[in-house]
Amino acid sequence: MQSQSPTHEFFAARPSQTWKRYPRLLGRLGMFTLIRELSLRGNFLVKVAVEVLWLGILLAFYETVFARTTMVASWPKQDYLFFVGCFFAINGVLETLFLENCNEFSNLVRTGDLDFLLLKPIDEQFLITCRRVDWSVSPNIIMGFCVMAVSLWNKGWEFDALRVGLFAMTFTCGVAIAYSFMLVLTSFSVWLVRNQSLMEMWWLFSSLARYPREIFQRGWANSLDVVFTYILPILLVVNVPSRVMVKTIEPKMVGFIMVVTVVSLATSRWFFQRALRSYRSASS
Amino acid sequence: MTTALKPDHDVEYELQSPNWSSIWRKYYRVWRVSIAERMTYRADFLLGTFLRMLPMVTTILLWQAIYEGSGENILAGFKYREMIAYLLLVHISRMFSSMPGLAAGISRDIREGTLKKYLIQPLDLLGYLISYRAAHKVTYIVMAALPYGIIFYLCRFYFDGIPSASICAAYLLSLILSFLIGFYFEAAVGMVGFWFLDVTSILYIVITLNYFTSGQMLPIDLLPPFWAGFLKALPFQYMAYFPAVVYLGKVQGNELIWGLALEAFWALFFAWLARYLYRRGLRHYGAYGG
Repeated sequence: MQSQSPTHEFFAARPSQTWKRYPRLLGRLGMFTLIRELSLRGNFLVKVAVEVLWLGILLAFYETVFARTTMVASWPKQDYLFFVGCFFAINGVLETLFLENCNEFSNLVRTGDLDFLLLKPIDEQFLITCRRVDWSVSPNIIMGFCVMAVSLWNKGWEFDALRVGLFAMTFTCGVAIAYSFMLVLTSFSVWLVRNQSLMEMWWLFSSLARYPREIFQRGWANSLDVVFTYILPILLVVNVPSRVMVKTIEPKMVGFIMVVTVVSLATSRWFFQRALRSYRSASS
Repeated sequence: MTTALKPDHDVEYELQSPNWSSIWRKYYRVWRVSIAERMTYRADFLLGTFLRMLPMVTTILLWQAIYEGSGENILAGFKYREMIAYLLLVHISRMFSSMPGLAAGISRDIREGTLKKYLIQPLDLLGYLISYRAAHKVTYIVMAALPYGIIFYLCRFYFDGIPSASICAAYLLSLILSFLIGFYFEAAVGMVGFWFLDVTSILYIVITLNYFTSGQMLPIDLLPPFWAGFLKALPFQYMAYFPAVVYLGKVQGNELIWGLALEAFWALFFAWLARYLYRRGLRHYGAYGG
């Protein structure tokens, strides 16, 4: 009687069973990185303190701005703070789960260590983009939601299940679109090896996403609004979830973000696999 | 026999009584080598500089929305055009005063024991590092002249032309002093590594606080009077805010002379502090590793 290896079991499992393993694996990877992070507790706490400080500075900035005006691009103070909180939470999710891994990818290509990851019996995209959880930035997610909750409270917002449901869905779509952008930028590392400017590009994209669309809807900036909403739709990431909570629900934009999510996830996966096919091990 | 053992005259001169000329030659060579090193990744550098300036577009649009929302032409003494000019000029200030990796590099040298290379060679740590940084700044400024030139040309409507020669001289002096403050401040933070070994955590907090307190996000004048006064009493404003307002002509006459004198005082203070911490730190230094 032959004994079967875990790898064999993995491949032999039905597709539905295989996919069920990914959340479990993500949990294990998260636990592993948390244990590693907590072995240097002091450093971890300082990194968390820096994130808290950064949010404090951001809120101080907007507090100063709203001391001089009641409205920024048709967004009153509490609505705008909700937007800021939403950006902070989405960015927190991306930085916690993906940014460090994507940043590391060019190193894997340059050193040839990518070989070891490609040999594992698991989806390459999952392993490369999710293998480390950066817990030190995870409080950003909680802080972002706290800012959103406080702004809704101050605004006197009344609970609306439809808005909450749509927010949850569009928030997830926003994360998925931003992740797709990050994946495409990461994939370029296979050809360029050094990806410092690519990460600057990511910073540029995220700096576009942090403002309401209305600030682009004037004069020459209208073209930026069109490009970054319909062609490279990074402006949808924070704008759509924020709007469904604090402004009028626009069914067209909700439908559009869902379509964009599917298209961007599929395109980025195709592009990533195309990049992997061009990969030549550093040792060969 | 005695004659044969006597060192060559020049060598003896170099080793026993270095004068200003030999010191200058030594650090000039460090400067030249550092320039050659910096020129290696030109394309990446140019792309990076352009990309770094592009978020300025969103900043311009945000402030446009803020001014429109307020219905005012002037906020805290800044017209809309001046505000944008200020935010552009802050980039120039930071070009001089930012010292990426300096403190972390010093603390790494201390932690890994590689600091001893400065102790066994006739090379002063701070002298070497300031030559190295000056070279990096010169190459950065020369290479950034093109992208920055294009961006400033496109944004020329936000400026009231080129200021008078005296303002330009004061501006240049404030930038040079901001370089010295930035360098010696970061070096002093790095010297803390003699006692704490890893200053990365302290550095994260310092960089984050400096971003706000130096006036990079917005002019300090926009803050409530107490906080504006408090931040203007600190040295961080000289790393971004002060040179920008000097160029915009918002500080003139006695106030300008007094401001420059205070900036010079802080540069000297941090130079003394970095040197003092270095000397005290060497008494603790164990030269581990290496």
